[in-house]
Amino acid sequence: MEALKFNGSGSEYFKIWIVNILLTILTIGIYYPWAKVRNRRYFYANSTLSDRNFEYHATGKQLFIGFLIGAVFFILYNILGQVNPALGGILLIIFLLALPWLIWRSLMFNMKVTSFSNVHFAFKGELRRVYTIFLGYPILFFLLISIVGAIASTLMPIIQTADRSILAIVGFIVGFCFMFVYLYFFAFVKKNSTEYFIGNSHYGQGAFQTELETKKFFIIILKTIGISFIPMTVVAVLIGSMRSMVGNPYVGASGFVSGAELLFIIGYFVMIFVMMLIMSYMITRERTYIYENTLLDNKIAFESTLRARDLAWVMVSNIFLIFITVGLAYPWAKVRMAKLMLENTWVDTDIGFDEYISQKQQEVSALGDQIGDAFDVDVGIAL
Amino acid sequence: MIEGKWHPKDSASQINALLSVNDLGRYTIELEDNKIYRGDFSKLQVSERLGSVARKITLENGSVFVTNNNDAIDKIFKQYQKVNGFIHYLETHLGWIAVALVITLASAFSFFKWGVPWTSQKIAHALPYETNKLISSGTMDFLDNYMFDETNLTKETQDRISRHFYEKVAPLSIEDENKIVYKLHFRSWKMNETEIPNALALPSGDIIVTDKFIELAKTQDEIDSVLLHEMGHVVHRHGLEMMIEGTFVTVAVMMISGDGSGLGDMGIGLGSALVSSSYSRGHESEADLYAFKKMLLVKIDPKSFSAIMNRMSIYMSEEENRTKGNNQEDASILDYFSSHPTTKKRIELANHYSECFKEGLTICK
Repeated sequence: MEALKFNGSGSEYFKIWIVNILLTILTIGIYYPWAKVRNRRYFYANSTLSDRNFEYHATGKQLFIGFLIGAVFFILYNILGQVNPALGGILLIIFLLALPWLIWRSLMFNMKVTSFSNVHFAFKGELRRVYTIFLGYPILFFLLISIVGAIASTLMPIIQTADRSILAIVGFIVGFCFMFVYLYFFAFVKKNSTEYFIGNSHYGQGAFQTELETKKFFIIILKTIGISFIPMTVVAVLIGSMRSMVGNPYVGASGFVSGAELLFIIGYFVMIFVMMLIMSYMITRERTYIYENTLLDNKIAFESTLRARDLAWVMVSNIFLIFITVGLAYPWAKVRMAKLMLENTWVDTDIGFDEYISQKQQEVSALGDQIGDAFDVDVGIAL
Repeated sequence: MIEGKWHPKDSASQINALLSVNDLGRYTIELEDNKIYRGDFSKLQVSERLGSVARKITLENGSVFVTNNNDAIDKIFKQYQKVNGFIHYLETHLGWIAVALVITLASAFSFFKWGVPWTSQKIAHALPYETNKLISSGTMDFLDNYMFDETNLTKETQDRISRHFYEKVAPLSIEDENKIVYKLHFRSWKMNETEIPNALALPSGDIIVTDKFIELAKTQDEIDSVLLHEMGHVVHRHGLEMMIEGTFVTVAVMMISGDGSGLGDMGIGLGSALVSSSYSRGHESEADLYAFKKMLLVKIDPKSFSAIMNRMSIYMSEEENRTKGNNQEDASILDYFSSHPTTKKRIELANHYSECFKEGLTICK
């Protein structure tokens, strides 16, 4: 097993980043796709495994048309959503219907334009499957819940004669069961989507395999919720006590930041901090589980050694850094995160990669990737 | 001689190799296993430089030579073709980095501070007046369904206030915008047992006053001053402006944060909240100014405005103390007041206009 390495540095990336922003500003946004390519290229090319590096091959020109369509859609959605909530709702539904397609296109494009050691990746998933996972299952689940709900409400009159405490207990149990079912469904979708993403990915002529269980994801989710109870209580108490400290926030609001805003800011930070901790736990556990059950060509194994506390520390300190430098520390934050992620990703390199050869692939436009990008749909599989 | 690695076309296998170029414009790539590739130097394709990232040189036959020795590559390729992009030049010259930094910070600041409000205002006023009606369609129903209850004021009180408003106050804005049709609504607004004193304006010209506001107002002048403030929002098309500003901020932030890896997003929520609260404070001052100017014209002391504003905020803080036990939900009350701050500046402006009023002026500098 060998860990991946990240060779980039914050100061070097800062220069690339600031020039990107400068040119994006000077061109009133038109440069954005080219800036994105430079960002990606920097991070991919600096990621190495046994002295072989990754590469990002998309060009600004390829991304540009999708970027335009995405930007127009995004602005339209924002304006129409405010002008007329109903129209905004319709647009949102259209967007949700198109989402699986966007994910699918985006995966194909991004895999195709990524290479490792001169050999390209590829994604060969079926469109039908992505619709089943992200649209079919949720709709089915929703219908099922509605039917159960309808049956329950028709049965309600029968137990109405019982006294109130029994009713409360029944309500509690029903609520609890509902939560369990919901979380199990969440784990089910997670299992299927991960299998779909990884199981249809190819490296050269080689294919990735992964076999996962809904049960394992479900346990991770349950543990996460169990853990989150403690910090959530602490936060509730903290915010409560801070409120009384600040007193009457909106009188005497003569300074730059009023009491209400200060409270809002502190609360916001504490919330972020707690969310990061909980998220880190879930992300790292899922990552470990997924990696150890993934193989390339049934022989090359993977492993994740990312620990929740390390991830949480980097996330929280990054946000702090970004905040106190009004965003200027962003490049360092990103580099730190890339280092942490890559250095905790292990690949079996004994067999070597010399046998792999790029396969012919059809042209895929960057449409899905860029429209998804405009709406902040994150479909890339983190390394 | 440049050290590097050579890959056959499309293959992951690699072998150590040396690249050299002679004066005649011919290159030689010598592999570790003694194979040699030669060709016209001008036929080689070299990837654009990006920091110290490994450089890829593609040969005519599709095989690839990769090296980390960027400087040597730049040196030999410089004589034949321009490989160092303009962008890499910027990225490696400290002076330009500093310039980029300053321009970026300055333009980001001025964009949010002046650019967005200015452009939004221009757009808001360039749009046909009917847009205002369009964006408030359905709002009144929404508010009635989720926030307001029916008024408890008597028919007489309502009629008295309405008549005064339609006859004396509403016509004051005709010279600014003659298409506005004002409509006064009376509603009761309760939040956690607390009755909220407030006046709101929708872009369409609908103005809502709450029962508690009418109750707290001691004079007709006080009511008029607040109504004029709300009319200021309508005349200045602040509803439309806010909408446009919101779109601007979201799009701009999305672009700046680059390929949002979720990391930058965390700060964005807070940033946009602070930015938009600063815009709405700007709108409040603009509406204040509008109200004060009109008040001088119709001989109302601008002090009335600060008096009623003060009384409302004192009432709210008392209510806050009273209901401190159950402190849920009232964050929304805080939010409301943070965009309506009784800042020193606001009171100072009211006092300044009050001075003018006492001197009998109708225009105040």
